[in-house]
Amino acid sequence: MNLFSGILNGLGEIWAHKLRSFLTVLCVLLGVMSLVLTTGFMEGFFQSWKISLAEKGGLEKISGQAKRVGKVREPFVALSSGYALDDERALRRALPDDVNVSPEVDLKVELKRRGKDYYRRVQGVKNDILAANRYEIAKGRAFSDLEIRDSADVIILGTDAVKNLFDPDAPVLGEFVELNGRPFRVIGVLKHYESLYGDYNWLDFKNRIAFIPVTTALAKINGNRQLTWLNVRTTEVDRLGATMDTIENVLASQHRLVDDFEVLSNEEQLDSFAQTRANFVYFGGGIAGISLLVSGIGIMNLMLASINERVREIGIRKALGATGRNIFSQFIAEAVALSMLGGVLGVGVAVGAITALQELLPPGRQPVLSGSAFVLGFAFSVGVGVLAGLYPALQASKLDPIEALRYE
Amino acid sequence: MSDAPEVVRFERVAKRYPMGDSVVDALVDASFTIREGEFVSILGPSGSGKSTLMHLVGFLDSPTEGEIFFEGRPLASISPDQRACIRAEKIGFVFQAFNLLPRMDVRANTRLPLTYHPVPPINAAARVDRALELVDMMPRADHRPGQLSGGQRQRVAIARALVNEPRILLADEPTGNLDSRTAGTILDLFTELNRQGRTIVLVTHDANVAARSRRQIHVMDGRIIRDA
Repeated sequence: MNLFSGILNGLGEIWAHKLRSFLTVLCVLLGVMSLVLTTGFMEGFFQSWKISLAEKGGLEKISGQAKRVGKVREPFVALSSGYALDDERALRRALPDDVNVSPEVDLKVELKRRGKDYYRRVQGVKNDILAANRYEIAKGRAFSDLEIRDSADVIILGTDAVKNLFDPDAPVLGEFVELNGRPFRVIGVLKHYESLYGDYNWLDFKNRIAFIPVTTALAKINGNRQLTWLNVRTTEVDRLGATMDTIENVLASQHRLVDDFEVLSNEEQLDSFAQTRANFVYFGGGIAGISLLVSGIGIMNLMLASINERVREIGIRKALGATGRNIFSQFIAEAVALSMLGGVLGVGVAVGAITALQELLPPGRQPVLSGSAFVLGFAFSVGVGVLAGLYPALQASKLDPIEALRYE
Repeated sequence: MSDAPEVVRFERVAKRYPMGDSVVDALVDASFTIREGEFVSILGPSGSGKSTLMHLVGFLDSPTEGEIFFEGRPLASISPDQRACIRAEKIGFVFQAFNLLPRMDVRANTRLPLTYHPVPPINAAARVDRALELVDMMPRADHRPGQLSGGQRQRVAIARALVNEPRILLADEPTGNLDSRTAGTILDLFTELNRQGRTIVLVTHDANVAARSRRQIHVMDGRIIRDA
């Protein structure tokens, strides 16, 4: 009896006990489904995280931001002038020329044009942001040195801002938009960024933005001369450590040793990414493992019951010349047929569920269809079948034919 | 006694079962030879040890003492897996309770021993058909055992026992569950099979049934009391 006919025979047995088999197959189905779904959710989560990590500047980027000072040092906060353009100048002096230093001010302002308004993030920046945060200008130009020095009222728009403020195909460059009631001339439009996942664009945050010169933002809009970010991008990852040391030293001196700044590399973010991912794999794997264990118990239970009912059949088969090994493989094949059925159905239901959830769930929370998850789920179900069938099949193969034939 | 080749030989065979603290002698000092072409019945009341004898002849059990030879080979030298092979290849079983598998049709039931045949014959389907024709069950080949009468089921069981073209056919009370008229036709079938040259061992408690065979081994309290 080969494996295929064994499995076919097993499917026949499953069909003969429909309800009982259905319940067991349901166990396996749910186990495999939870495995595939959990993996799908995890993959979806990590995929978006990874893309956004790369698009936020990759490994070469070092981001500096303000930090709350500890209680002990609070009286000295006034000594520091906080993140300011002076820090940028100091960093430029200390770092090599090919390093980008990008001072950024986040503004919450309203953009308006002819009755249309658009409320999104507007950043005061220098041209360094294009390299540091990976932006490209598709149309028009970047800021000129003169515009930066003179705090000019010029603006570079992301495609989402263009879409919301302008009619389709209307000229954009040279037009004016209002920012807090002040007219700004559009000098450039950024590239459109798209990384679609279903209907959701992971990179839409790069389109929902507008840039004005950092000097304009500080002098005319913000008023408090504080930078939100002071990001640095090195050219080589090897120089990351040295560059970070330099930045910390320069900032410490600039801020008169007041600890009100924080310098982070994406490497640290990547580390925490890997760490979180590993935690999720263990956690999700554990949960899926438990559900598969449950389905294994279900299979073993069914097999034991089935063998108990078929003692006589085993006796007959042995009398007709079946060896212990024949009987063993017959029942293993049955267990595998059960779990394979559950596995196939489980993967199928999971595909359906993932597709449905991609429609239903808000962007960023959607699971992904992942081939490895299907293979994993299916392999696990077959493995569980073999393991769960082992003991009952061994019991069956050891039955004494005389006792088995006498069994009523 | 003819000088046809021997199929099964018992030499001072004994079988004892532990039963609680005591030991039950199911078979004591049994010696006989069954040769090719014989139609032997083993006759005795229930509990006399005839089923034990049958299990020993069919290799389902091993003796406590003595030696059993199959085609001249001592049973003790044959591994359990090889015994299973011999059962699949050379022995046909017919049971009192028919013992067909209820979820398989007649054809599949008949084919069952070939599944365990060491070298499954290429012409397995033809063999199944021939066996079914021999017992006149071809018209019912696609029925399930539940759709058949007792006599028909026993015919299928006989076809199943014949499908591997065995050296010896063992029948354990084959008419025990049948009415006398059906039993008669089944026994006619055995007689006919023997006439065609099959070696048959028939176990029964019924002297009328045993009378059909040419040789009768009487068993009583685990001992062979008459062999004629």
